[in-house]
Amino acid sequence: MMNKGFMMIGLGLVTSTLVGIAHAVEEGDPAPDFALPSIYADQPAIALADMPGKTVYVDFWASWCAPCLTSLPLYNDLYNKYRDQGLEVVAINVDNPIEDGLDFLLDTPLDFLIPSDPEGDMATQFSVIGMPSSYLIGPDGEVKLVHMGFRPTDMEMIEAAIVANLPD
Amino acid sequence: MIRLMAVLITLGVLTGCSQVQPWERGYLAKQEMAWDSDPLERALNDHIFFSKEASSGGNIAAGGGCGCN
Repeated sequence: MMNKGFMMIGLGLVTSTLVGIAHAVEEGDPAPDFALPSIYADQPAIALADMPGKTVYVDFWASWCAPCLTSLPLYNDLYNKYRDQGLEVVAINVDNPIEDGLDFLLDTPLDFLIPSDPEGDMATQFSVIGMPSSYLIGPDGEVKLVHMGFRPTDMEMIEAAIVANLPD
Repeated sequence: MIRLMAVLITLGVLTGCSQVQPWERGYLAKQEMAWDSDPLERALNDHIFFSKEASSGGNIAAGGGCGCN
């Protein structure tokens, strides 16, 4: 009886763990369709559906995530370099409260789109497994690159992947 | 019967467990999530503890608690 009890408790633990694991977005998968409000109250909502035929670089970031904060100004340079060739950078902020994200943006103005996802709805849909996580979506709507973590030296690889997937 | 109830209660409690998702880890960095939420009180307690033990380190500071620094 006692063993059975332990087994049931173990089963419960395993189940509660498994429930949290969903299918993570991988390279070659169709990109989850996102639509989120902008972090800035005076700007329109941001949706993948509004960017047909564009190369979209989606990045999940938060103000408490140091590598995220390192990456954003570098993504801004990249965005300004390739925006005319059809690149969109969408940096989804997962801060809750969103004021934490806005505080960072006060000191670091960024030119690309910044939606706000305080409840983590899109992070759940992408099954983000670490912060920061970024996804390169080709003009065909397919995920071309999944990148987790960030070091400044990663920029070379990310830029090469973006250039290879820019619209014709 | 009591055992069955104990198992059921334990299972019920387990449903309260939730994984902190990667994008929610900011919550763990909040001050109220620390063992001691008051940094000054923590420093004082550490000071008293290390004076009594005639050692330092081994708590959250660097050092292995060898008492040699």
